[in-house]
Amino acid sequence: MTQAQTAPPVIEVADLVTHYGERRILNGVSLTIRQGEIMVIMGGSGSGKSTLLRHLMALERATSGSIKLLGNELSELGQTDLYALCRKIGVAFQGGALFSSLTVGENIILPLREHTDLDRTTMNIMARLKLEVVDLAGFENLMPSELSGGMIKRAALARAIIMDPALLFCDEPSAGLDPVVSSALDELILRLRDAMQMTIVVVTHELDSAFKIADRITVLDRGEILTIGTVDEVRNSSNERIQNLLNRRFEEEEVDPDEYLARLMGQT
Amino acid sequence: MAAPDRERGAAHALESVGRGAGRFADAFGFGAHLFFEAVYWLLFGRRKGQRVRAEPVFAQMMGIGVNAIPIVSMLSVAIGVTLSMQGIDSLEQFGAQHQVIFMVALSVTREFGPLITGILVAGRSGSALAARISTMVISQEVDALKVMGINPVRYIVVPSLLGMMIVLPSLTLWSIGISLIGSSLYVAPQIGTTVSAFFAQVNLSIDVDDLAHGLTKSLIFAVLITIVSVVDGISVKGGAEGVGRVTTSAVVHGITAIVLTDMIFVFATTA
Repeated sequence: MTQAQTAPPVIEVADLVTHYGERRILNGVSLTIRQGEIMVIMGGSGSGKSTLLRHLMALERATSGSIKLLGNELSELGQTDLYALCRKIGVAFQGGALFSSLTVGENIILPLREHTDLDRTTMNIMARLKLEVVDLAGFENLMPSELSGGMIKRAALARAIIMDPALLFCDEPSAGLDPVVSSALDELILRLRDAMQMTIVVVTHELDSAFKIADRITVLDRGEILTIGTVDEVRNSSNERIQNLLNRRFEEEEVDPDEYLARLMGQT
Repeated sequence: MAAPDRERGAAHALESVGRGAGRFADAFGFGAHLFFEAVYWLLFGRRKGQRVRAEPVFAQMMGIGVNAIPIVSMLSVAIGVTLSMQGIDSLEQFGAQHQVIFMVALSVTREFGPLITGILVAGRSGSALAARISTMVISQEVDALKVMGINPVRYIVVPSLLGMMIVLPSLTLWSIGISLIGSSLYVAPQIGTTVSAFFAQVNLSIDVDDLAHGLTKSLIFAVLITIVSVVDGISVKGGAEGVGRVTTSAVVHGITAIVLTDMIFVFATTA
């Protein structure tokens, strides 16, 4: 039994079901992510991976099921306890979500400024340290609008780790980046796990990136988990839908012509 | 038009009215909730580890108030002079042009000062607030605040609300003063009196109640402008086009709310 298999669980999701209106987005999703593990959540567009991430970040409430984060059942937490829990979590959003009115440095120290009584000098030193970790030293006085796409993602990562979180979520960290920058970001995520012993959840549809960084991969399709396994287990899976996803094949939906016509006419 | 068509048209109109009323009720309820939540964080934020900082409040006051002084001053002078010209022209017919000071002082203090300042701030700062919030929603900055354990109402709404509630009455007071100065410069030579005599007459014409009436209204307008702008900003859908849409609707809704509330307030306090 490996260390990853015996480490305590950081995230426990049980039978998660969620709807947007009448549409079922997640259908009985269950998974456990252990301490120090990099779990990559993969799936095509509309598979429910971003929705699952929003639930893990407590940004959405599920229709039913349970999510335990660092031992806390999210549905039972009051607002104050939830905010306290959020301080142990870091999130790097897909578009960075840096505050456009603040400099890069001010963005990075924002969680420290809001949650600690540290003096400004100490906060600035911490910000510079994190900027060095993400290879952005010297950029603290620039505005987010002055950064490239890759730099914004790295600055967002620096903000996400400023409080030394136990758990880090990364939403599409390499989307829209060139292969060199994307690969550098992957290295950075691996470094963070090794140096800071973080549990990291990465949502991505970039296969190369997923295979490079993942300890385990969860493959989602149409709101259901197809498999959870190591890189090799996923690669060698005999499941046709997984192979379609890995080989970038799209399943052709068999449609009755009359039903299709009725759908176009808005009659269904 | 055939009878069934007319019936369908009437049913459709009724349905639209019903939907509109539903949307208004939703927005009103959300706005009221937002206001009370903002008051809650203002009062208990420190105890809950979510203190309201002075720095963003001052930044808001600077943006809403200090930077608006030139345009408020210009409009206030214009309002004072226009009211004076209209007043003298109307009252002259009854040989009562000297009463223009009473008329201008009362209407500027109770009505035009708060109303014009409110409308101006709704157009200038309300739209800016709606644009800022909608942009933050679209670029996931609001989500980022939540996952950082920072309450968005405390971080975004409270400084704006507090800044607006301090600045709008102050701007209104400034506007009243500038309107009266503008009026005095026109009226004094027209009716053969001095500026100091004009202000002595102003002093006799208005009392503390009149000033309190105007300033209370501006305080209510401050709450309305902020809440309407935030509600519109949060409801953004789509990208840059959505931001433009909510910015426009924040101005329209803000001004409508101000004018209707003004009417209700005047009715309640004078009828």
